[in-house]
Order: sequence, then C-alpha cells, then structure tokens
Amino acid sequence: MKGLVALHSYKGGTGKTSISANLAVTLAQRGRSVCLLDFDFRAPSLQTLFKAETDCWLNEYLDGKRELDSCFIDFSKTFNTRGSLKVGFANPSLKGIREMMTKDRKWEIKALHRSLELKTYLSEKVGADYAIIDTSPGVHFSSMNAMAASDLIVLVMKMDDFDTAGTKELVEGLYDVLGKRTTILVNRIANDLTTGQGRIGVMRELSKLSKLPVLGMIPCYCDLGDHELSGGRLIYAVEKPEHDFTKTMRTLADDVEKYLTPNSASASSTSQGDDRTPF
Amino acid sequence: MLKEINAGIGDLGKKLDRLIELQHKHSLKGGSEDSESATTLPFDVDSIVSLPDHLTKTAVVIAKLEKGTALDVSKETGRARAAESDYLNQLVSMGYLKKKRSMRKVVFYIEE
Repeated sequence: MKGLVALHSYKGGTGKTSISANLAVTLAQRGRSVCLLDFDFRAPSLQTLFKAETDCWLNEYLDGKRELDSCFIDFSKTFNTRGSLKVGFANPSLKGIREMMTKDRKWEIKALHRSLELKTYLSEKVGADYAIIDTSPGVHFSSMNAMAASDLIVLVMKMDDFDTAGTKELVEGLYDVLGKRTTILVNRIANDLTTGQGRIGVMRELSKLSKLPVLGMIPCYCDLGDHELSGGRLIYAVEKPEHDFTKTMRTLADDVEKYLTPNSASASSTSQGDDRTPF
Repeated sequence: MLKEINAGIGDLGKKLDRLIELQHKHSLKGGSEDSESATTLPFDVDSIVSLPDHLTKTAVVIAKLEKGTALDVSKETGRARAAESDYLNQLVSMGYLKKKRSMRKVVFYIEE
C-alpha cells in the first residue's frame, strides 16, 4: 500500500469531505485502487454525497461486529473509474451518532486497535493503493485514531482567525506529538492570494502558525455557489471533469502521490520557504 | 565551556530524577517481570498523545499489536530492541501496560 491519508481540520466547514471524495475519485480515475472511509462519526456526510444506500456502517467495524470489507460499496462501475473505488460510510442516523458520542474508554481502546489495523487490512485483504479518511473536525477520538493510523495527515484550513488560532493548537498539541507527516492545505482562499505577493503574504502568515509544509492552496470557486462545494451535492471529479476545481484535485492527487513516494525529493521540497506553487 | 558543563550537569540531574522516580514507581509495583496484579490505566489515543515524546511511537505500535515483545515492537519502530524494552517497561511503570513471562520471552500487553 502506498499510503493512508487522513484529512483533518480544526473547524467544520473547511471542505474536508468534498476534498476527500474528489481526491479519492481522482486517484481511482487514474487507475489506483482506492478506499475512502468516513470517520466523521459526529456528522457523517459521505453517504449523502455518494447517494448510497447501505445498512452496513464503519461504526460496526469499530464495534468489532463486521468485517471492514463487507461494509464497502464499490463505486468503480458507477463512476467508470479505471481503478477500484470502495467507500465505507459512517452511520448518519441520530441513534448511530449518539451511540458514537457515548462510548467508554474501554471501547475506545479497541477502536484504536482496529483503526491501527486498517492499513494492514486494506493493503493485504483489499489490495488498496491508497486509503483516504475523512475525519471529524477538532479533537475527537475517531479522528485521533485515524491520524495515529495514517501515513500522511492533510490539515485542511481556511485563512480566518478562528481557524488559524485553533489550528496552531492542533499542530502543537496533536500533530507534533503523533510525529506523523503533516501538511497544510488551504481551502477556499481568495483567488488573488494564490499567486504573487498575495501568496507570499499567506505563506508568511502560515509560517507564524507552524513550520509544517504547505501542500497547496485551493481558490474559492465562489461562482459555483458555496453550498455546492462545501455542502456535498456534487462530486466534481465525476460530474464536472473540466471544472477548475476538478483540475485542482488532479494536481492535489499528483502531490499526494509524490508525498507518499519513498525518498521523493518533491515531497520534502514543498516547504513554506520555497516558492513552489503546487496549485 | 563552563556554561556547557553546567547545562550538561543540569540535564543529567533531570534524567537521574526521572530514573529515581521510575524506579520508585517500579518498586511500588513489585518490580517483577510479571505485573499481573497491577491495575492498568486506559490506553486510548488520548492517553497516548499525553505521553512523553519518546514513548509515543512505542505506544502506537503496542496499541496496534495489543501484545508483543520488545523485539516485535522494535521491528515496527525501527529502533533498537533494548531501547524499546526500556520504553515498554516505562509504560508498565506508568500503569498503561502489563507484562508477563512467556517461556523465555517477556510479553507486554494491554489489559482487556
């Protein structure tokens, strides 16, 4: 397996779910075997995005009641992807969400073990090249488990004061401690801040936040309506292949693949100090 | 030069204090290679991120394995077996793990 990527954020509404789904589809379109897992048990939304019907949830995998593979739905035929695209959903019912909010620490210990087993399972039993995990924002046990199990944490953030302050806390209190490769992805940033002096200014602000490398900056595609990108109505990589957002996702997929390639020079060069513009 | 020596002595002092503290905790628990009787603390991700930095990697691996020897853990972390043995024993002393002798091996495990 090439890598397990966890997308996380301090706040909700950063576009994590949309990016996770589109990144997974983009990787599958180029022939990779991909698993996408919804670990946002507090506000599951991938099921709505994929318009899927299922009665098997990742909640049950963490409970130890179901095998992971039995909870996957294969979307490779639906989306006509070259590689397999298996998606596991979190239970969006109120009962399912409440159950996950009231687990005791004994359960959390088992859930951590099952989360840490993910990579071996997905690699050996599912044959996945990549696993993308959409996590719950903030400090939640399922997100922390996913990050502990991951090879790469992509921290999705917006450049507002609330998000930057909270993100600084996360970097110092969580990402640094876990010792995982972590990178920042700035989403929905004003177009004029993605290039030239604007970009330099953003980089300066981010360097105050942490020394983490920046994977990229995704402009705000406000012409589409905010709700479409953040609200999960469309998977652009499937339904709007020529849209700029989809093209951005292809660049993101390139960079994620580079990051997860052993001894990749580009992976280490995407630092805040250089002027490389991944996108 | 003197400043460096002083700083070095300060570091050594802190490390000795830490060793004494660990030895004390270990002796309170009997210090045997079988810690069946000791009560363990919950070993979830919240506990793991609260550990000293050098123990985090070891803790994540033993959480994945659920039980294993220092050699098993060292294969996953890529660090020396002796270092992992030390770290695992620290986790036992802190009350997160238990250990028992199985044949000639010492197996560290998370209590069910």
